[in-house]
Amino acid sequence: MNYFLFVVKAAIEDFRRNKTQTFLTSLGILIGVFAVVMLTALGLGLKQYINDQFAALGKNTIFLVPGKILSGGSFNATSALASIKFDNRDLLRLKRLKEIREISPIFSKQTTAKSEKKSEDTTIIFSSEAFFDINGFKIKKGRFFEKADIDKKAKVVVIGPKLAEKLFGSVEAALDSKVSANNINFIVIGITESKGGGGFGGPDYDNYMFSPYTTGFIFNTAKTYSRFAIKFDENYSIMDVKETIKKEFLKRYDEDSFSIIEPGDILSAVNSIFGILNMVLVAIASISLVVGGIGIMNIMFVTVSDKTKEIGVRRAIGARKKDILVQFIIESTILSILGGFLGLTLAYIGTLIVQKFFPAYIDVSSVVLALGVSSAIGIIFGVFPAKRAADLEPVEAIRYE
Amino acid sequence: MIKFKNVWKIYKLDGEIEYQALKNINLEIKEKEFVSIIGPSGSGKSTLMHLIGLLDKPTKGEILIDGKNVAKFSDDELSTLRNEFVGFVFQQFNLIPKLTVLENILLPTIYARKKLTYDPRKKALDLIKKFGLSGKEYSYPNKISGGQQQRVAILRALIMEPKLILADEPTGNLDSKTGIEIMNLLKKLNEKEGITIVVVTHEADIAAYGKRIIKIKDGEIVRN
Ligand SMILES: Nc1ncnc2c1ncn2[C@@H]1O[C@H](COP(=O)(O)OP(=O)(O)OP(=O)(O)O)[C@@H](O)[C@H]1O
Ligand SMILES: [Mg+2]
Repeated sequence: MNYFLFVVKAAIEDFRRNKTQTFLTSLGILIGVFAVVMLTALGLGLKQYINDQFAALGKNTIFLVPGKILSGGSFNATSALASIKFDNRDLLRLKRLKEIREISPIFSKQTTAKSEKKSEDTTIIFSSEAFFDINGFKIKKGRFFEKADIDKKAKVVVIGPKLAEKLFGSVEAALDSKVSANNINFIVIGITESKGGGGFGGPDYDNYMFSPYTTGFIFNTAKTYSRFAIKFDENYSIMDVKETIKKEFLKRYDEDSFSIIEPGDILSAVNSIFGILNMVLVAIASISLVVGGIGIMNIMFVTVSDKTKEIGVRRAIGARKKDILVQFIIESTILSILGGFLGLTLAYIGTLIVQKFFPAYIDVSSVVLALGVSSAIGIIFGVFPAKRAADLEPVEAIRYE
Repeated sequence: MIKFKNVWKIYKLDGEIEYQALKNINLEIKEKEFVSIIGPSGSGKSTLMHLIGLLDKPTKGEILIDGKNVAKFSDDELSTLRNEFVGFVFQQFNLIPKLTVLENILLPTIYARKKLTYDPRKKALDLIKKFGLSGKEYSYPNKISGGQQQRVAILRALIMEPKLILADEPTGNLDSKTGIEIMNLLKKLNEKEGITIVVVTHEADIAAYGKRIIKIKDGEIVRN
């Protein structure tokens, strides 16, 4: 114990006397740990963000989409494109099922919305009134459209708060105003509360418009739907509901023509995509840790040659080879941990800054990992210089000037 | 205590050229002796001292410590012997600059394999007081005089209570007055504590402190 205290004290005294060199030596590790911890923090934040987004969808919700988009929990983009579309027969089929409480057919259209003063590119989602409840929307001003609007094919829209501001300057001004899309005039009957989203978290609902699906047939003469959002009766298990729907749809389609997805599926798919992306980034950042380790090794070789005389003296007063070995490994480990600690501190500060714009957080495991990895690097890259120090012949070392 | 039997130290210079730094040395150092080794520069004094101090191994011949052949010892065993049995004092003091006076004196004890019969810190502080270094315990070597540094080096050599102290030009970097102080100190250690002392020097008046003077020239003992 006494021994370690001595070695550590001597190393720290050394570093204290050569602050600049010490800092530059640990800079590589500092950058590496900073990058790894920061990216991990962003990855964790992203995961949290996605989870929050899907939490808003509520329980007992599933989606029915054409094509086979999910296979084995990961996203299968190619088959999502080539697929059938649903139609009214499917809607009626689903409406007959006792397990289903609410259902909304959905299709959407990219368009340019025009107010009197401005125009904005946007997406209109055409759905039934159930869409809002299923997706957990809340109204900020005015009202959602209702069953009566569906039946009347009313030319009304509910719009997202961001779009409302862009088109009309304010949410208040948007209500009851006119907006046109593809030369069809709509009346704004409501503005939703902000749902966040956009960016990584799913559709950018705050910039969308929502209108009755029956009205949307103006643009969609084939009367097809690109998906169904379904809220099922909580007395049934999700497995049963999926099974029932599947059985029903297999009467008309083959197995690969449609997918039943629950938010959990999407969640795990999105998470797996970003998880992989994050892992790749972290792996790339880890390379800088190795580079940092090589930097430390380099300096340790220089240190060993600078301290040849000291090594000789220590051997003369009784230090064994392994004592010298341990001394230099401890020294490089302290250097590396110092870099790790500084990198961690910097990442912590970085996280605090990023949190203003985006969720990001450092968890215990990344702290443990950062310090663990940097000590491991110190040990691994310290071994070669330390071995050289230990293998010096005592006479050669003591004669060294 | 230490016996050299036909000891040679031959350095291989580049290529085939050999340099005989020590030639057929036969020598015995007995317990409680005070021996001076004197000779001109390059005569092989330091080489001889490194062999006595187990820092080096002979090219030919045998070195016996208490009757045991040094060649048979492992590197760890030699380290332990250096730690417990020998104390070194060098011309350039060779203190560790980033350790305080007290820590430098304690340094051999952290490498000690045997259980010490005393509290090393207390012993170090006692020695510091006894050898007139009070107040310098927590100073760093560059903050004290050469004579004080050499005394610290002697205390570092003493802390493990060795039987033998080897001093290579201990006065070489000191003025003559301080040099005399250091030599008197070594003399006292030999007389009062019974520690065997070997001093290497090229100055006759320093060598005169020895009860026996070994004269060496071109790697050979010319007078014993
Ligand atoms: N590693 C080595 N390789 C080759 N020659 C060496 C080596 N070490 C010492 N020598 C040579 O051996 C000879 C004796 O060296 P040594 O250091 O023992 O002399 P010294 O008597 O202590 O001299 P000084 O009074 O200058 O210290 C010198 O000529 C030196 O150059
Ligand atoms: Mg010499």
